[in-house]
Amino acid sequence: MSGSATSMPHRSSEPVQAKHGFWRRLVRTPNGFVGLLIVAVLIVCAFGADFLAPYNPTKMGSGPRFLPPGGTYLLGTDEFGRDMLSRILYGSRLTLLIGAVAVGISLTIGMLLGMVAAYCRGWIETVLMRSSDILFSFTETLIALSCVAVLGPSLQNAVLAVAIAGIPFYARTCYSASLVEVSKPYFEASIAAGAGPFRMVFHHLLPNVLPTMIVVATLGVSTAILAAAGLSFLGLGAQPPTPEWGYMLAGSRDYINRAPWLMTIPGVAIAITVLGFNLLGDGFRTALDPKERDR
Amino acid sequence: MLSFLAGRLTMGFLTIFVTTILVTLLIHLVPGDPVQIMYAQSQGTTPEQMEEVRKSLGLDKSIPVQYAMFIGRLLEGDLGNTIRGGQPVLDVILQRLPNTLVLAVAAMAIAILIGVPIGFFAAYKQGTIWDVTLMITAIAGISMPHFWLGLILLFYFAVDLGWLPVSGGGPLNLVLPALTLGLSNAAIFARLTRSSMIDVLSQDFVQTAIAKGLPKKLVLRRHVLRAGLIPIITMMGLQFAFMMGGAIVVENIFSWNGVGRMAVEAIFQRDYPIIQGFILTFAVVVVFVSIMLDAVYAFIDPRIRRSQT
Amino acid sequence: MQKFLGKHAICAGILALSLGGSVAGAGAKDIVWARYGDIDSLDPHRATSTLSLQVWSLMYDTLLAVDADGHPVPHVAKSWTSNDTGTEYTFSLNEGVTCHDGTPLDANDVKYTIDTAFDSEKPSLTKGSWGPISSAEVIDPLTVKLTLETPFVALIPFLADSFSSIICDSNEDAAGFGTDTAIGSGPWKLVSWTKGDKIVFEKNPEYKNFGKLAENPGAPYMDGLIITTVPEPQARFAALKTGEVHIAEPPFDDVAAIRESGDLQIMVAENTGQNVFWEFAVHRPPFNDKRARLAVAHATDAAAAINLIYGDLSIPENCPVSRGVFGNDQDFCAEYRPAYDPEKSKELLAELGYSESNPLETALLVWTGGNRQKLGEVFQAQLAEVGIKASIEIMDIGSLNARVRQENENTEGTTGSMDMMTWSWYDPDILYALWHTPGAYRGYTSPELDAILDETRVLTDPEARKAKVQEAFKYLLSNAIHVPLYTPGWEWVFAVRPEVKNFHVAPFVYPIFSDIKIED
Repeated sequence: MSGSATSMPHRSSEPVQAKHGFWRRLVRTPNGFVGLLIVAVLIVCAFGADFLAPYNPTKMGSGPRFLPPGGTYLLGTDEFGRDMLSRILYGSRLTLLIGAVAVGISLTIGMLLGMVAAYCRGWIETVLMRSSDILFSFTETLIALSCVAVLGPSLQNAVLAVAIAGIPFYARTCYSASLVEVSKPYFEASIAAGAGPFRMVFHHLLPNVLPTMIVVATLGVSTAILAAAGLSFLGLGAQPPTPEWGYMLAGSRDYINRAPWLMTIPGVAIAITVLGFNLLGDGFRTALDPKERDR
Repeated sequence: MLSFLAGRLTMGFLTIFVTTILVTLLIHLVPGDPVQIMYAQSQGTTPEQMEEVRKSLGLDKSIPVQYAMFIGRLLEGDLGNTIRGGQPVLDVILQRLPNTLVLAVAAMAIAILIGVPIGFFAAYKQGTIWDVTLMITAIAGISMPHFWLGLILLFYFAVDLGWLPVSGGGPLNLVLPALTLGLSNAAIFARLTRSSMIDVLSQDFVQTAIAKGLPKKLVLRRHVLRAGLIPIITMMGLQFAFMMGGAIVVENIFSWNGVGRMAVEAIFQRDYPIIQGFILTFAVVVVFVSIMLDAVYAFIDPRIRRSQT
Repeated sequence: MQKFLGKHAICAGILALSLGGSVAGAGAKDIVWARYGDIDSLDPHRATSTLSLQVWSLMYDTLLAVDADGHPVPHVAKSWTSNDTGTEYTFSLNEGVTCHDGTPLDANDVKYTIDTAFDSEKPSLTKGSWGPISSAEVIDPLTVKLTLETPFVALIPFLADSFSSIICDSNEDAAGFGTDTAIGSGPWKLVSWTKGDKIVFEKNPEYKNFGKLAENPGAPYMDGLIITTVPEPQARFAALKTGEVHIAEPPFDDVAAIRESGDLQIMVAENTGQNVFWEFAVHRPPFNDKRARLAVAHATDAAAAINLIYGDLSIPENCPVSRGVFGNDQDFCAEYRPAYDPEKSKELLAELGYSESNPLETALLVWTGGNRQKLGEVFQAQLAEVGIKASIEIMDIGSLNARVRQENENTEGTTGSMDMMTWSWYDPDILYALWHTPGAYRGYTSPELDAILDETRVLTDPEARKAKVQEAFKYLLSNAIHVPLYTPGWEWVFAVRPEVKNFHVAPFVYPIFSDIKIED
């Protein structure tokens, strides 16, 4: 860990051990295993919706209206005779896309801000971190709601809103993780050895904060999915006939007495998906940081 | 301690200051002509009247001038009038804000009363089947969409069983929304308490105390709980903000007449003065509560009380 | 730890206090009516929503009222005369009408109402609907004369609608008129308005009914009326079942079950004047071409769609102004309204050069609530059947109005825009507002149509006017400018508890509460 080797030092601590046997450790934690399983199933559903779905998800009159689950229509049909299973399968594609895009945007921007703040220090750090502190205190719901208020209701805008709302959180987390790295001796040694800012941030800082950020981002996917589904539930996101789960849930209220499964099924789908990412994130954390295993 | 609080206060003022700027800019970020969007519902509005409105909102001035006007009016307690019906925005908000605060506080109480004991118990029974079961329940609780939980509670307890009323703002009406919001947050408190308690339990002074032969229960009560609760208090401010955010959805499900339901309605109606007022109110409440909690925190945590920096 | 307990105690205390203050309690003799939304203002000049109008009709009076068929009849004004040119109307008022503050309602109050409607600083939102009134003159306390710049036959039906609610002039000095207070002369007197939650009324013991559609000639039988806001239909249903609420709009899907069980009565308002129709952004392709508009009209099966969503609660409408409004004639309109004919629609689309690989694309704008988004979804599917790709956007009625106008002003691009517009009016003069140059939404206009509509405003002979109005119908229908879909469309279904007797709804969805008696 001394200044002797600028080639390797940043890989000398925990991340190296963490990388070793990471997946094995992940599946050994019960949380990680179940989470991985759920997410894997979701990914299969999302990619395979075209083959797996027995009917067109938006085609009315695929079957009779209000058919209870079981039989030919495994999850029943909705108020327009659309197949619920097909709608849920296509919905999983949307849901994963929403989670990935929203977190992708907020993670990228947030990490960049966090790393730059930690690397540059001084007034840049103060400005960036104070402003993300301020935004963070507004909570994601309020930021997302304000964004939708400006942009107008639509699924794209809802995703964008959730993405923007997530930035302060990732910026703060990445900033704290980066500070730890920046204060390590090898970091100053690298700068002394003449590494430029670009190289320092992307070759030294990034690989070291990435594991932490992956854990945070996995957990963040569940938050993003919940937030976007919440907006759609309020009518501020997905528009018909999109088989978005939050929107489906909102539309099911009218038929609760006749067809309660219309409310149960999308709700369960959202809950399982969110649970999957929460468990996976938990598993990642345990697998990356062996000390966490006891906690 | 004073400088700690002074720092928090500065930060709070900064937050509100930034909010006022964002709120002024909000109307300019809207695609299209905001005045036309806002007034289109009334067929009688003439172009001259729209020009009047534009002037009264200051939209014909430069942004800094608009900001100054906005602050000027704000200091007089004037948040403008609603587009729909021309009611003073401040009135409309103040009539509903107490309802949202009551909901958030009740939900917070539920979350703490359920979450903290569970977390404490799980930490105490760390590694046992109790711990595992409780923590799995907690993670499942976090994953439950609260709008779904709300619907289920509404349909089961209010619609099917008819146990609880569904309209108005009475104490019985509070039960379901507070439970909905409280339960999902109880899970967060449980997890937080557990990890905080485990941290404390593994610290030297606790181990020493137990080794010295002090009764375990006494140690738990006197040392562990107190030290372990400090991180919970620091989290409470943030959790309160989350509750306020969560209230937006929950109020809509349960017809609870709070600012969240008002805000969602205003978004649909493009009633920008209400939206601006809502964002500002939200920020002020969140800042105020977190400063209050920081004061409590500073008072409880001896490290901060004594610190000179 | 003690500190924590203390804190909790404080929290609980705050909670108890704030709850104690907000306990809602309906007295035994109060009628409770739950609706999905709240009024915008107590001032009849500051809002236009049906929710607001319904409330004004309870607390204010109007010069005229309507009979069960929607025709204007005397009310506060016991008679009226007009000069030959139709530019002067003189109303003589009934004696004995008192405002809620005890002052008599006379010609000065009528003048005050009209003057505030035309206030140069803060005119009424409905100023345009009052017509070309140039002055209101008090001849004596019980006679008022209105002078018009040009003839305006829609004035009479307007004075029977709650848009023209008479505001007592004592409101001038009342602090917070429209927000906290409002002095009218209607059967119900305002006690308080908690925004977003409830409006509390007590009966006006001095009330005198001259022409409103209530059997009761005087004060309401019940002591009070509480109008609460409960947005969630299932929650309203639950409240109806427990008796917490007496009257409310039920969830549409449960109406059949309610009727079957007989637990609640279902009342469906008639002669609502509500018209739900297609209109198009006509200043750009594809809907600048009549054939594209006809293709949409031929592709929509309104009867099937409303049956899916509303069952028998709503019916298809053929005319641009609905049943209950002057000029409406189903048979006449059916001749000109493009009928459901998907094959014809496909032919028209093919003629325009659209195909499966090159479909007609359009935005489909829909107003939130009342299950209209579901109806839009059905229409979207019907349009898809003939190869029209419509993307739904749901918005509030105010935003919808704004958006439709923006779409009409936008002449660029090839993606169309159409919307499921909703209007309720007491007179075919609405067509003038919608389709006479420049047009409320800057939509379709033409010199021919302008000429027809101009005449509908000035023809004083009912038969001659009716012929003109129907000429306008024919023009609008055959050019697929205003394609009627169904009626009624909003706030027209009421579920009523069995102990509530004599509840009825006047034309244009004005519920009447003065006749109600609640049995124990």
